[in-house]
Amino acid sequence: MGLEHLANALTLTNLALALFGVVAGTVIGSIPGLSATMAVAVLVPITFSMAPASALILLGAIYTGAIYGGAYSAILLNTPGTPSAIGTTFDGYPMAKRGDGDLAVAIACFASVFGGIVGALALLLLAPPLSSVALAFGPVEYLWLSIFGLSLIASLSTGNVLKGLAGGALGMLLSCVGVAEISADIRLTFGVSPMIGGIEVVGALIGLYCIPVLIDLVATPERHLKVEQGVRAVRVREAALIAWRSRLNLLRSSVIGTVIGILPGAGGSVAGLVAYSEAKRTARPDQKFGDGEPDGIMATESANNATVGGGFIPTLVLGIPGTPPDAVILGALLVQGVRTGPTLFDGGGSIVYTFIFGLFIATILMLPTGLLIGRYAYKTIVTIPKTILVPAVGFMTIIGTFAIRNSVSDVIIMIVLGSVGWVLSRFGFAASPIVLGLILGPIAEQGFVQAWIIGDATGNLAGMFFGRPISLAIIAFTILSLVYPVIQSRRAKRTLATQANLND
Amino acid sequence: MLKLKSVKTFVFASTVSLAAATGALAFPDKPIDYIIPFGPGGESDISARFQQPYFKEKFGQDLVVSYKPGGGGAVGWAQLNSMTADGYTIMGVNLPHIVIQPAQKDVGYTTDDINTFYMFHYTPDAIVVTADSPYQSLDDLIADAKANPGSVTMSGSGKATANHLAQIRFDKLADIKTTYVPFKGTGASTTANLGKQVKAQWGYTTVGAAQGDAVRMLAVAMEERHPLFPDVPTFKELGYDMVGGAYRGMAAPKDTPPETIKALSDAFGAINADEAFRKQMLDGGFAMLDVDSAGMADFMKARKEEYLQAATEAGLLN
Amino acid sequence: MIETTAKTGRKDVGTLIIASLLIGLGLITLYDVTTYSDSDSVVFPSFVAYALIFCSVLVIIYSWLKPNPHNGFGTGDWWRRFLLVASMLAACLAMPLSGFLPATAIAFAGGLIAARHEGWDARSAIIFALSGVFIMAGFYSLFRFALGVPLP
Repeated sequence: MGLEHLANALTLTNLALALFGVVAGTVIGSIPGLSATMAVAVLVPITFSMAPASALILLGAIYTGAIYGGAYSAILLNTPGTPSAIGTTFDGYPMAKRGDGDLAVAIACFASVFGGIVGALALLLLAPPLSSVALAFGPVEYLWLSIFGLSLIASLSTGNVLKGLAGGALGMLLSCVGVAEISADIRLTFGVSPMIGGIEVVGALIGLYCIPVLIDLVATPERHLKVEQGVRAVRVREAALIAWRSRLNLLRSSVIGTVIGILPGAGGSVAGLVAYSEAKRTARPDQKFGDGEPDGIMATESANNATVGGGFIPTLVLGIPGTPPDAVILGALLVQGVRTGPTLFDGGGSIVYTFIFGLFIATILMLPTGLLIGRYAYKTIVTIPKTILVPAVGFMTIIGTFAIRNSVSDVIIMIVLGSVGWVLSRFGFAASPIVLGLILGPIAEQGFVQAWIIGDATGNLAGMFFGRPISLAIIAFTILSLVYPVIQSRRAKRTLATQANLND
Repeated sequence: MLKLKSVKTFVFASTVSLAAATGALAFPDKPIDYIIPFGPGGESDISARFQQPYFKEKFGQDLVVSYKPGGGGAVGWAQLNSMTADGYTIMGVNLPHIVIQPAQKDVGYTTDDINTFYMFHYTPDAIVVTADSPYQSLDDLIADAKANPGSVTMSGSGKATANHLAQIRFDKLADIKTTYVPFKGTGASTTANLGKQVKAQWGYTTVGAAQGDAVRMLAVAMEERHPLFPDVPTFKELGYDMVGGAYRGMAAPKDTPPETIKALSDAFGAINADEAFRKQMLDGGFAMLDVDSAGMADFMKARKEEYLQAATEAGLLN
Repeated sequence: MIETTAKTGRKDVGTLIIASLLIGLGLITLYDVTTYSDSDSVVFPSFVAYALIFCSVLVIIYSWLKPNPHNGFGTGDWWRRFLLVASMLAACLAMPLSGFLPATAIAFAGGLIAARHEGWDARSAIIFALSGVFIMAGFYSLFRFALGVPLP
């Protein structure tokens, strides 16, 4: 790596490609159902006629932009545009509802750029050593990681943990529908053949998050989002100030995102959830997560953009894609005749380093473009009359869900799931635990089954599940995040009591 | 008079043949949708991506790859015959999937429903270990498995798949007992092997090509050694009758006109005949195969018998 | 005695029904797993089904003792909610027959009518219909032509 690679990345063509990629990616990511994977897959043939480094820069820029774009719909419509943005809905939508949508979009942009840069730095400086993280994670580690993610249910379901847990179990059952991933059975389809493909996660997300919003919107004449009269232009400075105050949260979440991005079995959604959980655990007592807390958005958005750089680490070093978009990019690289592997960083280094600098440039370009697009997205959603907003979003959910795998039954499942989810949420069974179960269920199941088979074969089941250092660390964190809030609230009560005593 | 008539017939006939010829020449006059019934990054995706530029180069139209994952491919195959049958929609097909899946359960299609028009490569089964594995040869692995039955864990992609069938078959041939650990896709199974979560992997020659020096293949299930790996013996050389792997090709909806099928088959045959394409595939660890639409019925019949017998012996069908 | 009941109010019937349905779902799952041939695919769903049943039973007991008065469907027009969901479902059913755009036009029209609280006149009807056509055409071309999605 060196200046010549930076110079290569800075050619006019590459800059233009990075700019185009970021803008296209942001727009695509903001449309529910259109994923980074799809955008990258569509553009692969175009890249065949390009130089490998330019092709990589274009694809990487789209990927980065799409992960950020997912935040718009999460904040403004309560619908994660990509699974990575699930955690963004928790605080983003409440913020938008109370009239702070513009602030939330700007905060998301700062966090995404920060996370993206941390991930790209890790890719630039530490890729070969960090790739061993991907290999250190075995089935048991994935099992415990998913349980750590599921522990978030307890803190998410304020008021009724039992309903949250029941929702989580429901989500895990939904994840079993269809052909089992690692065994040869067809489960819970009850003979209905379109169910063989299972419940498509992105479609389910759209249904569970977006349909209830639409149902509530049409029922009453009230406005969609609260609008402050005499709105300020964009609240960039305010957002920057908030981001600066939370630099520790940003850094921690970005590191979490990078590391989880390296894990081929996890991905942006898990990274965002784990970072959110950690941000919540270490929060000050006055912060109300889930109620429009900017730190919640920052945790998820910085973590999910950090997975971009993190995900490229195993992709480029080991030839094992960290995330689905990475898999598409890996295929494009193979067609170009680029062999991945540790030698790529020594021998064919120029392509890799030009690409990494390109990724930096794309990430930095995301700051102006993201704020600009974000401003228009916010203004559009706020000013558009409800009469047209509802059918337009409804149309988008249909076309977006269909496009995931060209299937009408996925759309029907999306609508039914959304309507059921609306009824459930009206009686305290929130959507998020169901979604957590749906996403983490398969990771937990595969981890458990594989760990059991291996532990059984080597005659060391207990050691398999409870004897590995990384597993123990994850277990410790899980217990900590479950117990810590209880201790904290006790301590707060005790302080109050002592104060009361002193006052007496 | 007679002469005139014959001239007329001649003119008429030649216009018809001309029309037929231009029709055949112009067959791909718009992009072709090429649906891969899996997610990106697997062997099916990568080999399709290899075909993509050659198709464009030879026929001037795009081959648009899209993914329709679900049910181990079943979702796509179950819908294939309801798609537009004009030759502009084709789908990747995999063996043994399309034989084993419908034999096990009702998955919405039968093997004979799938109108495969070309089989273009296969990925031969191979046992892969990490470079620093104690198993230097196949005999080392067999010896360990004999000494400690069941303790040799081997990762593979899914159950009732090519990897799984290979594991069951090899256990029987070598009279050993190994433990098969299913993972979601070859990528995850390779990761587990590289991370030493398991002792070895049932993979394909493509794993050896992608991982290079990081891994060692103990044997490959081919008739002859793979040109990319002249040092890796075949199972046959070592005395185990194992040749096979996962076969890949393309299918079109059942109602696609026979001449269009023929044109598609010829088009992909032409790509397969391209030396540069062959080299790229071989460098990726694939093994070439040329079964066109004419030879498909016999090929499928033989494979179907072979796989059904293997699966029955393995106890996967009941 | 009578006073406390009055204070806690009605039982939270919705929660009770939902929790019972979830228990039913758990039982169905436990039945379904008996048909699997591979024991690896049985473990997880049965464990989750037991967990679901256990949690749902606790939910029933808890909400029986302490009903939450905030639960309920709240105010709002039912016909609008129904129209929205029904028109979207109708679009899905019509799609294989009529093609994508005519089918989704049903959903779009349903959504327009459901969301319009201000009443209709000729001018607004034309404006909204036109912007609807514009939005649908825009997204359709984005998906069909730019992204190559084979829309029916």
